[in-house]
Amino acid sequence: MRKIKSSLTVIVLVVIASCTKKDIVNTTAPKVTTGLYSLNQGNFGANNTTLTYYDFGTSVATTDYYHNVNGFGLGDTGSDFIIYGGKVYVVMNVSGNVAVADALTAKYIDTISFISSGVNKGPENIVGYGSNVFVSSTDGTVSVIDTTSLSITKSITVGSNPAQMAISGTKLFVSNTGGFSAQFDSTVSVIDLGTLTQTGKITVGTNPGSIAADNSGNIYVACTGDYASVAPSLVKVNTATNAVVLSADTAVGIVRFYNNNLFITGGYLGAATVRVLSTTDFSLVKSNFISDGTTVINPYGLDIDNATGDVYLGDAKDYTASGTVFCFDKTGAKKFSFSTTPTASPAKVVLIQH
Amino acid sequence: MFIRRNILYIILTTTQLLALHTSYAQQKDSSASLKKVTVTAIKRPVDFTTAIPVQSINHEMLQQINAESIADAAKYFSGVLIKDYGGVGGLKTISVRSLGALNTSLLYDGIPVADAQTGQIDLSKFSSTFVQSLELSEANPPQILLPARVYSSAAVLAVATNTFNTNNFTQKKWQAGIKQGSFGLWQPFAAIYLPASKSVVISANAEATWSKGNYPYYIDNGMFSQKAYRTNSDLKSFQGEINIVKQFKDSSQLQTKLWGYSSERGLPGSIIFFNNISVQRLWNKDFFLQSRYQKKISEHTSLLVSAKYSSLFTKYTDPNFLNNAGGLDNRYTQQEIYVSAAISQKIGKYFSASLASDFASAHLSSNIVPFATPTRNTWWNSIAIQYARRLWQINASLLNTNVNDKTKTGSAAVNKNEFTPTVAASYKLNVESPFLFRAFYKNIFRLPTFNDLYYTYISTINPKLLPEYSKQYNVGITYSKNFNTALKQFSISVDGYYNTVKDKIIAVPSQNLFVWTVTNLGKVHIKGIDVNAEANGKFSSAMKWSVRIAYTLQHAEDVTDPTSTEYKNEIPYTPNNSGSALAVFYYKSWSAGYSFLFSGTRYTLGENNPANELSGWDTHDVFVARMIKLSHFQANIKGEINNVFNERYEIIRYYPMPGRSYKISITFTNL
Repeated sequence: MRKIKSSLTVIVLVVIASCTKKDIVNTTAPKVTTGLYSLNQGNFGANNTTLTYYDFGTSVATTDYYHNVNGFGLGDTGSDFIIYGGKVYVVMNVSGNVAVADALTAKYIDTISFISSGVNKGPENIVGYGSNVFVSSTDGTVSVIDTTSLSITKSITVGSNPAQMAISGTKLFVSNTGGFSAQFDSTVSVIDLGTLTQTGKITVGTNPGSIAADNSGNIYVACTGDYASVAPSLVKVNTATNAVVLSADTAVGIVRFYNNNLFITGGYLGAATVRVLSTTDFSLVKSNFISDGTTVINPYGLDIDNATGDVYLGDAKDYTASGTVFCFDKTGAKKFSFSTTPTASPAKVVLIQH
Repeated sequence: MFIRRNILYIILTTTQLLALHTSYAQQKDSSASLKKVTVTAIKRPVDFTTAIPVQSINHEMLQQINAESIADAAKYFSGVLIKDYGGVGGLKTISVRSLGALNTSLLYDGIPVADAQTGQIDLSKFSSTFVQSLELSEANPPQILLPARVYSSAAVLAVATNTFNTNNFTQKKWQAGIKQGSFGLWQPFAAIYLPASKSVVISANAEATWSKGNYPYYIDNGMFSQKAYRTNSDLKSFQGEINIVKQFKDSSQLQTKLWGYSSERGLPGSIIFFNNISVQRLWNKDFFLQSRYQKKISEHTSLLVSAKYSSLFTKYTDPNFLNNAGGLDNRYTQQEIYVSAAISQKIGKYFSASLASDFASAHLSSNIVPFATPTRNTWWNSIAIQYARRLWQINASLLNTNVNDKTKTGSAAVNKNEFTPTVAASYKLNVESPFLFRAFYKNIFRLPTFNDLYYTYISTINPKLLPEYSKQYNVGITYSKNFNTALKQFSISVDGYYNTVKDKIIAVPSQNLFVWTVTNLGKVHIKGIDVNAEANGKFSSAMKWSVRIAYTLQHAEDVTDPTSTEYKNEIPYTPNNSGSALAVFYYKSWSAGYSFLFSGTRYTLGENNPANELSGWDTHDVFVARMIKLSHFQANIKGEINNVFNERYEIIRYYPMPGRSYKISITFTNL
């Protein structure tokens, strides 16, 4: 049968020029030395989330490093990842799992499923503390994963559709968006990392999303608003009293803390730049962090190396074209950049520590 | 990532909603009637004699190819891309010459079928069983007496059912049958045509479809690769029509049709690695009542009046949606009233002209809160002229579109008044020449749909949306000749075209992958060549044959932003090469055929990197049919094997298409 088919096809396809591949995807897997991983989300429904390994020594970016090492892909729409205790944990939101691999080789170790009773819990964000990693899920829970057994040992109920998390002291703060419902949530859940229970909720503002902790007991929450009448805002919370101590109407996508300043992207309604704000009164320190004129079309990932002050920006462009990851030094001058081709939407960068 | 995932689902529910996938049952038609298996090809086919390219598929061919719905049949046209999400229940839309599904309109027995919510028609809702002919016109249909709205799209797919042909129905006629195929397909159908009086025919037809659509597919992901079966891909649908035709003494005719469609289906969704959960469901309840009155006022003057009321109800559920309500249950009701009046006048020997004026009011409501609840009022006025000499002719038309949107909440977006022309011409060297040269130009636009404009949370920026404009240029040559040999007739047409699209409306993620917005982003240039050829003949009085081939060579590139990595890349899902072929042999009461569809490599995203490459495919179908004459009626029996070589392919990435499948059908009829 196949033969007949082939000849039929040949007859018909003779005239047809075959397509030439333009870019050649790097399919090698160089040994991990010093460098970073970039999580590139890809496109919804396309099973094309990738992990790029960028080598500081060779300046070579190997996209889909995870696939090259393991022979299979991560799946659909990775939303977050961390390196913790020698392992890399990749949160796959649409595939509904957390993929665990060796941090230094990217070799697959296990998959922790977040599909329970026929429902994908929607794992979203991940942080590590003690012997656990914590994963927030859209179904209103934070799952506690033991880093030795790689199993979910506890599920802590928080608010509606939790998104991001930050640790301050011995407490875990979780922003509850309520983004799936007609009515947004407006709270941040407080989880005691000793008892692993929710001890309270702080009302911060409509649709809280990105969240960052400083080194003096405060957290900063970006409230996205309702995309209509309620404007986006940035809120500062004192974690000793759980009281909102500062609030300002400003459009914030991602908020990060470094060296007594906040680094923020404009998000949904704001400008496509990275601003620097003072933590004390949210006054503008720099309206554009980038000082050398480098163009970043759509800042989508924002991560800061606390040791050096290097700022990593993931440029998602139009969310379908290949993304670019930029590294800037703390003065805002570009150090290097690499393409995440063929994958779109670089969302997070994590440095590989030996 | 902050999840306003509503938007995602809204985008998905709307493009996909209707769009989603589903099952397969497979193969389509058959049966109905292989009855008139006579090859009628004395005249040159109309497809090869018009100034504007027209392609058609007749009833006979519809019964031969594997076509559950008219969407499957339309795959045999050149220049056409049917987006098919797989299976009998999967959304199927038609894009002509890469202008997009929203630029093609559907005429059902002469009256437009519209959907202001999605702007595109799911062709899988229209069975091919009772269709007399399917005709695809670039630009406009060749007739001069048309409703003005017919000029409002870049291409027109016209469906003519067999119900309004009064000549055939001087006595009671009927047909009934059933098709049964792989993956749980059962499709019973019946029709009856009753002459109520000398001048009135009442007819009714109905078809039901059950399909499990649980066809196997393969997940290709290293050590996690596995064979799996589509789940939640079942379809139950019912469609029916009641038609009344009244022929008046002055030869004017009134046609009235009540059409209804009801379905429930699973939406299996795209293949997601590590996650095979699929629980989304879709219900449709559609009906329309339409009437059409044609009168020859005098030898030179004709009148055409049409009216229609339609109601489209859609319900979409996702019990796994993680909102406080414990799941999604979105319902949409769309209603439209439409009226049209057209008149044509012949002036002198060579010249004719027509005027048409149409109005439609479309309204969409939903249980979603908040919801804009938009109403769109549209007026179309057209003037068309034709100057036809023996060897050449010129057609020109001008369409005026006046649109006005209103919303209950939020700002209304569209308020437009536009004039858009079409010009076409053809020329023959002499009366006997088998050659015809032709050319046309059309400028048209499509409005943003209700989905584009009025979905919650994206509405604040949407009112800036502009219409999407497209210009089409076409030059072609046709050759058509009759012979007195084993080859009785041969026709071929070759058309080269160049289309430009500006302000292309596309949905893009705005804040993250879960918050989408709809913008005018994009300029596209499309160039291509369509080739159509058909031939038929007889080896002896008992042995006849026919062959038909369509081929498209096309390049559609994004020319939006020279600094982008997508610049001059091919737009998604546009193969450079695609085509089809059908060959049928007839021997006495037997017929057997082979059909073939292929598509070259495409890209799934605007950046043409190898990771976005989706490989080409080809499928091969075969059938054998026999007509058996019984005392007062006849039986037609047909067996099909579709996708004979079990090709594993996708038209849309991660929406696998069915592999090899079987179907048998039997029809009894006295037609």
